[in-house]
Amino acid sequence: MLWTYVKLAWRNLFRNKRRSLIAGIAIGLGLASLIFVDAMIIGMRDNMIASATSSFLGEGQIHQKDFRTTQSVENTIQNKDWVVSNLEEEKIVEHFTRRVMNMAMINSAANMSSISLVGIDPETEKPLSQVDDAITKGAFFEENRERDILIGSKLAEILEVDMGDRVVVTVSQAETGDLSQEMFLVSGIYHFNMKEMDRGMAFVRLRKAQDMFNIGDEIHEIAINFTSTKYGREGHLPFWDKYSKYSNEALGWTKLMPQLKAALDLSSFSTYLTGLILFGVVSLGIINTLFMSLYERMFEFGVLRAVGTRPFGIARLILLEAGALAILSIILGNIIGFVITYTVSKVGIDYTGIEFAGVTFRELLYPVLEVSQFIYYPLWVFVLTVVVGIYPAVYAAKISPADAMRKVL
Amino acid sequence: MRKIQILVISLSISISLMGGARESSQPDVGEIVAEIDELYRSESSYAELEMEIVTPHWKRTLKMKSWSKGMEKTFIRILAPAKEKGVATLRIENEMWNYLPKTNKVIKVPPSMMMSSWMGSDFTNDDLVREFTWTEDYNFELIRPEYAKEDLLYIKLIPKEGLPIVWGKIILAARKKDYIPVWEKYYDEKDKLMRLMNFKEIKTFDGKEIPAVMELIPQNEEGHKTVIRYNELEFNVDISEDTFSLRNLRSRR
Amino acid sequence: MIFKIAVRNTMRQKRRTILTALTMFGGFVLASISVGWSDGTYSYIIDMFTRNQLGHIQIHGAGYLDKPSIYNTIEDYREVGKDITNIKGVDTWTPRLFAAGLASVEEKSAAAQIRGIDPQKENKATRFDKKIIEGTTFADTASHDAVLGSGLAKVLNAEPGDTVVIVSQAADGSIANDMYDIVGILESGDQMSDRMSLYLRLNDAQELFVLGDQIHEIAIVIDNLDEVDDLTVSIEKQLNNPELAVSPWQEFARAFYNAMRADVQGMWIMIFVIVLIVAIGVLNTVLMSVLERTKEYGVQRAIGTRPKQIFWQVIWEVNIIASVSIVIGIILSVLANHWLSIHGITLPQSFTYGGIEFKYMYAEVSARSLYIPAITVIISALLVSIFPALRAARIKPAKAMRIH
Repeated sequence: MLWTYVKLAWRNLFRNKRRSLIAGIAIGLGLASLIFVDAMIIGMRDNMIASATSSFLGEGQIHQKDFRTTQSVENTIQNKDWVVSNLEEEKIVEHFTRRVMNMAMINSAANMSSISLVGIDPETEKPLSQVDDAITKGAFFEENRERDILIGSKLAEILEVDMGDRVVVTVSQAETGDLSQEMFLVSGIYHFNMKEMDRGMAFVRLRKAQDMFNIGDEIHEIAINFTSTKYGREGHLPFWDKYSKYSNEALGWTKLMPQLKAALDLSSFSTYLTGLILFGVVSLGIINTLFMSLYERMFEFGVLRAVGTRPFGIARLILLEAGALAILSIILGNIIGFVITYTVSKVGIDYTGIEFAGVTFRELLYPVLEVSQFIYYPLWVFVLTVVVGIYPAVYAAKISPADAMRKVL
Repeated sequence: MRKIQILVISLSISISLMGGARESSQPDVGEIVAEIDELYRSESSYAELEMEIVTPHWKRTLKMKSWSKGMEKTFIRILAPAKEKGVATLRIENEMWNYLPKTNKVIKVPPSMMMSSWMGSDFTNDDLVREFTWTEDYNFELIRPEYAKEDLLYIKLIPKEGLPIVWGKIILAARKKDYIPVWEKYYDEKDKLMRLMNFKEIKTFDGKEIPAVMELIPQNEEGHKTVIRYNELEFNVDISEDTFSLRNLRSRR
Repeated sequence: MIFKIAVRNTMRQKRRTILTALTMFGGFVLASISVGWSDGTYSYIIDMFTRNQLGHIQIHGAGYLDKPSIYNTIEDYREVGKDITNIKGVDTWTPRLFAAGLASVEEKSAAAQIRGIDPQKENKATRFDKKIIEGTTFADTASHDAVLGSGLAKVLNAEPGDTVVIVSQAADGSIANDMYDIVGILESGDQMSDRMSLYLRLNDAQELFVLGDQIHEIAIVIDNLDEVDDLTVSIEKQLNNPELAVSPWQEFARAFYNAMRADVQGMWIMIFVIVLIVAIGVLNTVLMSVLERTKEYGVQRAIGTRPKQIFWQVIWEVNIIASVSIVIGIILSVLANHWLSIHGITLPQSFTYGGIEFKYMYAEVSARSLYIPAITVIISALLVSIFPALRAARIKPAKAMRIH
């Protein structure tokens, strides 16, 4: 018996192909837009986080606990062997890299500037940060020359130097404060489109920097990337506690860049509210489409009643029809949503070169497709459609055949 | 404060000039350079000098006294102008203190600040920590440029590989008869003249002929100039160790 | 005549009319709220950042922004200030002096950015006093006191009650040095700046750096962010001084401005989607109602109504509904946005920035939060009604009646 109704409902749906198609496309487009906007919200958030963390910061960092405020060269990571060997075992850690840094003066024949000199290990730095990608001239420590130095585009301008030119870097060493001077040859110039990095930083090999700072093989910073971005966002990850001992502190980017976190929170809150409004608009569309397509057919239902269909049967038929329409819409919506989102996620939306809260967007914005988008939103559309169908279903069931048939003309 | 650093620098440069007078017929370039290098070594010195700093925004002259012992210790006290009278600087190797009579405080200058340049400065920090010698740290040769004058000899100095020196080359002109420098020209690696140092007004101090005036003119900044003029200069004087102490720094002599 | 029939039709088919209207006006209100909300959010974030330190408009000596120099000053800032105050829309202004120096407390020294400020004016313009996290702000009468950024205080190991000595070079080339009593520690929300900043009273700083009555920057706070460009122009005109540069926040906070634009761009993509969905809803409703009424139009044709009449009848019907929807929509949207602009929505997590706690987000009643949805609804209703109207007009009576 139920099967008959299901069949009838489907037949009804296909009998008036145009009407069903219009209703299906309308609801489907609503569904597609939900999928697209959701993918875009995720894309925006990921892009911002990625821009913040992937240029140089990393998703998390470990320091000696006073290092961040004092930037003092003596404040090296405590028990670093324990830290490093444990990090190598850590399952959620994808990459990590060791760094040292200190204030320094850099001189050329033309000028001088005060910078932060950073010693990096090229092998482990490469997969973690984008210093290598930001190189516009020269290369990222390709050959094994210990006098290689990478400087920012703005710094190169100030110092009036180019590839291969000599610069002298002066730092004061740990403990003694003795000055240590070394000559370097510019082997690469990078451009991050970020004032602080393009003007105030220079990179040399870790070993060389450690020698200059006179800190043996101690390090100041470990930058970490996790296997998933969710760990970096997580404030209460056991990981942070585990490494926040021996006077060290392990922090995620949300703590390292609180202003970015604030901006991100505000903007994503606002985005979610807009998403909610979209939800409302889509729901309104569904209600409307369904009501329209059902009320216009009251005559038909009147006829059905007249030929002896029981009220319950009519209600069931209408609900089944609503369900069938929902399924049609979901199929259409998922296809449209997937095609649009996928296309845009391949093409990208141009955000390049925009700086936000100290973070530069270095990539296009790509919406992010997730399986859940094709489960939860369709489910919502289905439930809403059927629930909304209840009202006309009850109404149609109650209607007397005579009334129904009169109403139309 | 950074001004004072310049003084320290200029003094160490000036030391290099001391006792430059020497009779010699035709020594080879190595000897000449070694001669000039040896001028760095001075047991101790006492000087009264003026430093004139010219920038596009202001021009001022400081008068001061200075005591030094070797390359390691320097003590400077400012005499004029009135506003800075009594300001003193003590440098012992890499440590440096300033005394400021206005606040009656001694401030230790952090190493990082010792290196930083001061806006009006015409000396780079390279000068401050320079412990290089022409002989050991540069390759040199006698040259005869087109503009060569009869009574001068010219030496081209190129820093040796790997040394923390920014210059591409330096050309030094000295008098043939006594090797007293007349000017030094500092070039970058593209052979662009970056700064010029002139030595003028040769006077006899303590029995030695020395240029009393040094004039540093940066070539990449218009309107900047620093001139140092010695009014009095004594070599190998007896200076008590007490001079180079924090207590002396505080005393407002 | 046609108009009357259209009106009567809409009145007769109450349910259909209400449904169509619901789509239109519901879409209108939601689209309007989303525009008003997005405008409100950005005004809010921009205001939060600019009010914290920068101000909305700044005046400097020409070229100062590109190449800050202690010598590039504003000479008669009081006169300039007086001129600005008279311009309508300007809320308040505050003078500032910037210089670099060495700050030392006891044995510790560090490089510092010295900022000379006028405490009263600064409080009014950027809520300076609210950012003090330890100790107090500058007292009304005393002098020779200093407020340190929190990072700098940590580096110097300083706390209120200590004495800080500043050494630097004054604008006349002389050695600038003096002592100040630390009265407070400040947190601006910008770690980088807090690691360097040392605040002095303007007159103390002027004396220290031998700058007479000169300053480097005038920060201006205005009443309404939307007027920033107009006000920049009128301030420029008022001052009429080629040696002074007037810049709106978009210029001196370029990075932040670009970021906002990027974020707004993302927001507009969402609003576009919303508008699109509203348009589709309207299209769908009208199309359905015409399709379902094929028979009715058939009857009309049969009794002699000309196609042109039917065409206009449908157009009228749709647009009557649209107009009514927009009118109701405007009223409701203004009410909703107004309510949201006063009460706001509670943030899931409040946070503190620059000493101010942020708990709510607010919408904004802006002109475009009304005209964008209005245009959307009218245009989509018009465009959308043409096709069904044409269809209705072309209906062959016989064929139309046969359906069912």
